[in-house]
Amino acid sequence: MSGFSSVYLGTRLTVLASRLISFEQLIDFIELDLEQILLQVKQRSGYDYDIDGSNPRWIEAQLTHRALDEFLILLRPFSGSERRFFQFAIRWFELVNLKVLIRGKFSGIDSSEIEQQLIDLRSFTDLPINRLLETDDPYEMLRLLETTAYGGIVRQARRMYEEHGNDLFLLDASIDRSFFIDLKHHARFLREEDATNVRQVMGGLLDRFNLLWLLRYRFSYELSPAKSFYLLTTTGNRLHSAELMRLAQMDSTEEVIAALPEPYQRLLARIRSISDMEMVMEYYSLSIAARALYRRPNLLSRTFSYIVLREAEVRFLQALIKGKQLGFDNDLIKQAMGAVA
Amino acid sequence: MLATPLEMRKVGLYMVDADAQPAAMALARMGVLHPLEDSAIGQVLQDYPAAFYYAVYHDLNSRFGKISSFLKTPLQPTVESDELVTLGQLQVLDRQLKQLWAQISALEEQIRRQNEKVGAIRQLANSLQKFSSLDLDLGRLRRRGKFLRISVGTVPAENFSQLRRALSLTQFMIKVFYSSEGINHVVVFGPSQQREEVHDLLQSADFRGLTVPEEFSGSPARLQADLDRQIEQADARMQQWQRELSELIKANQACLQSAQDLLLQARPYASLATVLRGKGGLVYLQGWVPAQSEQQIRQQLAEQLTFPFQLEFSDPEQQEFDSVPSLLKKSWLLRPFQGLVKNFGLPGYREVDPSGLFALSYVLMFGMMFGDIGHGAVIALASLMFYRRYPGITIVGVLAGMSSVGFGFVYGSLFGYEHVVPALWMSPMQDPVQVLLLAVLWGAGFIVIANLLAIRNFFAAGQIDQAWYSGKGIAGLGFYLAAFYGAYQVTFNNQFGWLESVLVALPMALIVHFQWRQSSGGLAERILVVFIEGLEHIISNVSGTLSFLRVAAFSLNHIALAAAVFAIAGMLDSFGHVVTVLLGNIFIIVLEGAIVAIQCLRLEYYEGFSRFFSGKGRAFEPLKFET
Repeated sequence: MSGFSSVYLGTRLTVLASRLISFEQLIDFIELDLEQILLQVKQRSGYDYDIDGSNPRWIEAQLTHRALDEFLILLRPFSGSERRFFQFAIRWFELVNLKVLIRGKFSGIDSSEIEQQLIDLRSFTDLPINRLLETDDPYEMLRLLETTAYGGIVRQARRMYEEHGNDLFLLDASIDRSFFIDLKHHARFLREEDATNVRQVMGGLLDRFNLLWLLRYRFSYELSPAKSFYLLTTTGNRLHSAELMRLAQMDSTEEVIAALPEPYQRLLARIRSISDMEMVMEYYSLSIAARALYRRPNLLSRTFSYIVLREAEVRFLQALIKGKQLGFDNDLIKQAMGAVA
Repeated sequence: MLATPLEMRKVGLYMVDADAQPAAMALARMGVLHPLEDSAIGQVLQDYPAAFYYAVYHDLNSRFGKISSFLKTPLQPTVESDELVTLGQLQVLDRQLKQLWAQISALEEQIRRQNEKVGAIRQLANSLQKFSSLDLDLGRLRRRGKFLRISVGTVPAENFSQLRRALSLTQFMIKVFYSSEGINHVVVFGPSQQREEVHDLLQSADFRGLTVPEEFSGSPARLQADLDRQIEQADARMQQWQRELSELIKANQACLQSAQDLLLQARPYASLATVLRGKGGLVYLQGWVPAQSEQQIRQQLAEQLTFPFQLEFSDPEQQEFDSVPSLLKKSWLLRPFQGLVKNFGLPGYREVDPSGLFALSYVLMFGMMFGDIGHGAVIALASLMFYRRYPGITIVGVLAGMSSVGFGFVYGSLFGYEHVVPALWMSPMQDPVQVLLLAVLWGAGFIVIANLLAIRNFFAAGQIDQAWYSGKGIAGLGFYLAAFYGAYQVTFNNQFGWLESVLVALPMALIVHFQWRQSSGGLAERILVVFIEGLEHIISNVSGTLSFLRVAAFSLNHIALAAAVFAIAGMLDSFGHVVTVLLGNIFIIVLEGAIVAIQCLRLEYYEGFSRFFSGKGRAFEPLKFET
């Protein structure tokens, strides 16, 4: 990247980062009504969102579109392996559509209903959405998906489905697992310094997913230690293979938490439910990304951190606004925001 | 030469529900209606009467598309009449195709699984080859030992390291004995009491185990033969399913034919799903039609509709101009040039269609830049070869070639020889300065015409201020002509007095004032914007005019290239001379011909079209009955 591009990207990142809404601020929004929330979002981010009473998905689409527009701007100075890495990272958004499609077809939901749940990702769309919606049965859809860029991910998901039936968590976890393995693979082609910095941010995310999946596999699905470990994704910052193998052999959640390395042991010491743990782990992984965005000089890891933080912001806002539109009470919305964490 | 798109009228048709389909069919047969969505009418007529029909049509069309991809030869439409297709007919056929597709999809899934299985067996056979040199009783792998369990098989390389670590949590071990093409061939062994747990784990890792048949006890070579037999059987089964698939398609050929015909007949009404609005049995359809078709539409609808209807025609309002589709006048000769114009953009409804002017100036410029009797004749004759497949290339090629021949006579040039044919005027090399000046004059004329067209387009679109005061309007034209006059006075009379200054400054002041009124923002920002835009206007006029120097440059270049060929040929013997002249001429025709063709197009697009042509027109896409 040229010196000019670096300055341009650095300035862009600083401006965009100043508009991010923090996790604490988002939690405070729960007490506000929908109009006040949108006003606050406008004041902080500068974006004005319209509400279409007849189409509750409209605001979700707008939130995603604004974020994708920003990513397009951020990606401009990158080329080669760096650009490929970010293009792959942004596929995370399309995985949401992929999961909706697979779940929908396996649950026998009508195509028009599935279509309503999909988000238009504009130029980031790789999936042949119309052809997928026109499939008559889930296996026809999987065959079509296997011919797309998501072929590998879908084959893993198919295997998981055939092994465990229509379990949404396992299906989603299988898709996310493959995504992270591929993302780490793409990171290998970055310059050493960039890869190291990016891995630190990615590591926080991987620790979070691995720990929560491990707890679920072992104590909700009662899978064996070996299989639970096998189904985890590539390793992160603190929870390395040896650590995870040791944790997989524990017999209860409490034992696992007691055996966790710091800071996870301290963070999760008093928490009992997995959904609360999810929220804490997400908050911690986002704080790692925020540190990289605001305090580190490496542009690649700052860009990646911005994408991570912005994606979380979009997800939280979507859950919050949806909750308000459906008239849920504040506690329920808080729970829902924790659930999407 | 300067036509505008055909005059359009807005049509609104109120009719009863039962007549909507016959009306769609009648309009589709005429091919004159560009349907229009109208949100205002949607407030009153809130229903979409064709929406359900479209949904069924869409499902049927999608299934037909999927199934017909298995046809070896595409079906030919056999629609003889334009009978109306009922919703019931579509639904019945859709159910039939749904069942047929379910059978096909099931067979496809079986074939996919079988393919996967065959792939796995081939991998195992490959594994087994590694044992072939050993005198080993593989029957041991089948025997379930009381204490030890051994499995041989394959696992994808990407899953291997995680699987190895996971297995270390059990008392099993895994060893790779061969790796190839992303597949690891492995032996897994461990205590029998953990076999269930490990089996589950291996399955998740996509481990494919080598199954030793019950009756088998022997060497690897015998097991290899067994695997070969399995592959043969699997292949035979797949071929059987492929045959079943072909037979299934063949048996349903008639059904597919009728689906295709029905879809063609149903398309006109189905394609109106988003524009046809209705309420309580009343249906409304709106669109744009060529004004000349009004009478035909009245007559056809009167004949085809059973119930009374109301038809309203109106001229487009000025604020609707952007949404009125542009239908260009058809011309056999101009068609390829219209295609090139559309590459830049379609003329807006009230804009001039520049195809005629474009064709004339393009052909003339090509001749000027590539003037040679012989080369032009070759291009014209070679273009004739493409007549059947690409008639557009032939038309452009013949016209450009003939222009080249004409200017060849003007320059006295034949296959690069400058003294064989007497020049009607002179060879460009005789007085390059005069040729360059003429090119500038040509360019100035070209820009003036482009400016006049822009003014005409502004007036036609009702943009009166733009027409008078903008850089592309009358003020802009005044500035250009004054600047040209000023440049002439400086160059040839060495003077630029108060008259020239006033002539240049006055239109420029009008342009700047207009830009000032158009700009917004703070004072400094407005000053900056107006200054930059004013400067840009001056620079673009100067650079645009000088761009046409290439017309002269290429005519000189053409002669220079020929001279270079002759210079090389002159150094060789008679055979070498002939070959060099021949190859040199081919080189000039192909390479320089292509470059000149592109340069002409560039001048047309950037110095012509961009000055007067928005290219924002909407294509006229009529409702059609296609067979």
